[in-house]
Amino acid sequence: MTKQTEQKDTSAQFALNRRQALQLGGGLGFVATMGLGAKPVFAQDEDTLTIAIAGDLGGWDQDYLAFDLIGLAVMKNTYPYMLDYGVREVDGGQIQDTETVVPTFAESWESNEDGTVWTLGIRQGMRFPSGNELTAADVKWSKDRAFAAQANVAGIYRIIGLTEADQVEVVDDYTVRFHQSQPSAMTSQIQIISLYVFDSQLVQEHATTDDPWATDWVNRNPPLGGAYNVVGYEPGQEIVLEANPDFPLGEPPVQRVRLPIIPAAANRRLLLQNGDVDIALGLPRRDIDDLRSAPGITVISAPSNEFVFVPMSTVTPPFDNPLVRQAMAYAVPYDQIIASVYNGDARRSTSPVPLDMPGHSDAGYPYAHDPDQARALLEQAGLADGFDTSIVIVTDNVEQERIAILLQNALGEVGGRAEIETVDPATLQQRRRDRTIPLQVASGQMWVNDVEYLLSVALTEGGFLNYANYDNAEVNALFGQLNGLLDPVARQEIFMRVQEILAEDVPWLVLCQPNFGLPVSGSISGWVQPVDGLFRLRYLER
Amino acid sequence: MRLTRYIVRRLLLLIPVLIGVSVLTFVLIRVLPGDPVLLIVPETATEADIQQARERFGLDQPLVAQYLTYLGDVLRGDLGRSITTNTPVAEQLARRVPLTLELIVYAMGLALIIAVVGGIYAARRAGRPSDHTARVVALAGNSLPEFWLGLVLVLIFYQALGWAPPPAGRISPLFSVPPITGFITIDTLLQGDLPAFFSALHHLMLPVLTLAIVITAPLLRSVRASALEVIDSDSYRCAESHGLKDRVLLFAYLFRLTLIRLPTLAALVFGNLLGGSVLVEYVFSWQGLGQWALRGLLLRDYPVIQAYVLVVATFYVLVFLIADLLQAALDPRVEV
Repeated sequence: MTKQTEQKDTSAQFALNRRQALQLGGGLGFVATMGLGAKPVFAQDEDTLTIAIAGDLGGWDQDYLAFDLIGLAVMKNTYPYMLDYGVREVDGGQIQDTETVVPTFAESWESNEDGTVWTLGIRQGMRFPSGNELTAADVKWSKDRAFAAQANVAGIYRIIGLTEADQVEVVDDYTVRFHQSQPSAMTSQIQIISLYVFDSQLVQEHATTDDPWATDWVNRNPPLGGAYNVVGYEPGQEIVLEANPDFPLGEPPVQRVRLPIIPAAANRRLLLQNGDVDIALGLPRRDIDDLRSAPGITVISAPSNEFVFVPMSTVTPPFDNPLVRQAMAYAVPYDQIIASVYNGDARRSTSPVPLDMPGHSDAGYPYAHDPDQARALLEQAGLADGFDTSIVIVTDNVEQERIAILLQNALGEVGGRAEIETVDPATLQQRRRDRTIPLQVASGQMWVNDVEYLLSVALTEGGFLNYANYDNAEVNALFGQLNGLLDPVARQEIFMRVQEILAEDVPWLVLCQPNFGLPVSGSISGWVQPVDGLFRLRYLER
Repeated sequence: MRLTRYIVRRLLLLIPVLIGVSVLTFVLIRVLPGDPVLLIVPETATEADIQQARERFGLDQPLVAQYLTYLGDVLRGDLGRSITTNTPVAEQLARRVPLTLELIVYAMGLALIIAVVGGIYAARRAGRPSDHTARVVALAGNSLPEFWLGLVLVLIFYQALGWAPPPAGRISPLFSVPPITGFITIDTLLQGDLPAFFSALHHLMLPVLTLAIVITAPLLRSVRASALEVIDSDSYRCAESHGLKDRVLLFAYLFRLTLIRLPTLAALVFGNLLGGSVLVEYVFSWQGLGQWALRGLLLRDYPVIQAYVLVVATFYVLVFLIADLLQAALDPRVEV
């Protein structure tokens, strides 16, 4: 017994020593880890800006990248773009002006008299980081590549009558002509989107017989020569950009921009609050509202062209009846949606043509919340007993969810019964294509701020974004008339007539245009609200 | 020799498993509603554009022809290209597998240490407050959703106390670590960059802790139950009554016999971790396999999902093989 006790004592002594040793070792490890890791996480100096983004980009080849807003935004800053929008001031904030074209790497941009031939003059002496000069040959090669890809640029060029590579002509080293098959009022806007240029000599060095356009190489190697150059890229982790001192409009004020990829919105917010990042992109509206009162943080607000709407399938009962669609327009509690979903920080939409789009008219949507009128119209449509339907929203979208609940209640008020269906993005796109969505909450911004473009992609038969499956013969005919028409007065008349028809037909419930809110650390200024959702870093200062 | 034959036989089993898994995955993801092409074409796309994109990825072919092409490619070591990013899937796998493996190996290691030490400790003090405390703490850890737990740990250790780095990846951006193995702790050591190594450890701290807390409970309970059985066994009582030293009792009897059951459960938990770490990866901006697969699934990126399932299936088979070998080494009654 005694012996056993002694043994236990010994082992206790041993255990104590081991524990002490472990504590000591663990403590040292902890101290070392904490001490060395406690350095500033992102270099915080005057010349560096850190912007938390939500995800990595899908690749570096802009000719193929679609629906990747992060990728496109980064590339907007790193590809040499020939043209860009101007900037105008609205309510103390700066937004892009789609009616002004600013040549960037280009020197001039002008058309012939009938608007079919556009001549691009390129600045002389502009060089890519490789040392190669940017010339007309680069522009031509880049657009030849886009036609060969038959993807993003080729799709949008079709709208302005550019369908073949030989419509792009090199006149001399610094002049390129675009020969359109017809004039278009949208040419400049579409070229602002499309005129990015590859360092063609460099890229061609990586072309192979199997891959003549070097798609593999381009997809892996960040483009260089824009307002910023990519100097670091750790996939999934961070993109680092450095200002291009030779940017034609002047070297961007911020020398270095770090874009750490932080998927969780809660963490992007935390990093901003802790001062580890200067800007947090893509925060939910509730977080942005909370941050308005956070110390050291400013929320930049700007009117936005993003619009929120509810397409009603015009081929699906009961919404194939215009009376029902009108009833829906009366049933929606617009002010309540703006107040409770957007905390009042949104503008009420008054037409399917977004506010601020040239040609917008309040006549496009003469509806207000009026449940009695809605009930009367439903009765007239033979639906006095109500109807069943479903509202489809996409997963992980709190705003859509809240709107859908308010719509569900509003429908209930007038006798409708709606079920809310949440689907993932792929299913949503499939169902849109299969035309199996009666009601859906949607939002977006038109990349080309023009009614003709809106009609082409969203309100005529065959349009990829025509979620309402809308097909009105007169609207189609008016859209046809816009094709090639440059006279602003004649265009305006057509825009008005289209909106009158849309007001009768009501393919969409148009809800609102939420203002853009961007929480930034107090020292940041210069934000210019992009009309295409793609930030321009060159305006930012700290 | 016998062991080698056993290992080879088990590895050969991988072939039918992988073929079965690949057929199932191939069919199932295509049965799901959702067409990846609709997510990559621009908004100006016409019917012809959509068709052309479909042809580009071979999605216009009959299903059987698509599968045979896929199988042929896989046998040549080509896992295809991601539809959404147009990059080779094998390349993305090679980059992401080490990230997740590093995370889950450390988490598993930590959980096993806690479970074995805690489980044996609790069993030796069965019924006492320390036993109840260990069980309740483990159970509580297991009950917490890892997403929530991760966020809470971030709030406490990063925001409130400032002890942890921001949940922004694997290492401070101040360090540049060219990948050798892809395991950042190993790569930093191979390059002799101690500050970078400690930064990597620092960044691993919270995600590893989160995962470890969540997976410790089943392991701890299993260890405790096994240890109790051993303590109640005749052989242990006999050894104890013969006055063997406590250390001998602990390591030669209790420790070894207790661990016999552990490999199978640990393999199950470890296998689940490979796919189950996705939420922790999301919270800690860890660009591992889980996040990649989730994105692939949401966007119906067929080659990505197919490759992911093959990797997970292979991983499971290998983990269970190792577990069986370990069990055989621990338990002389088990033959391989």
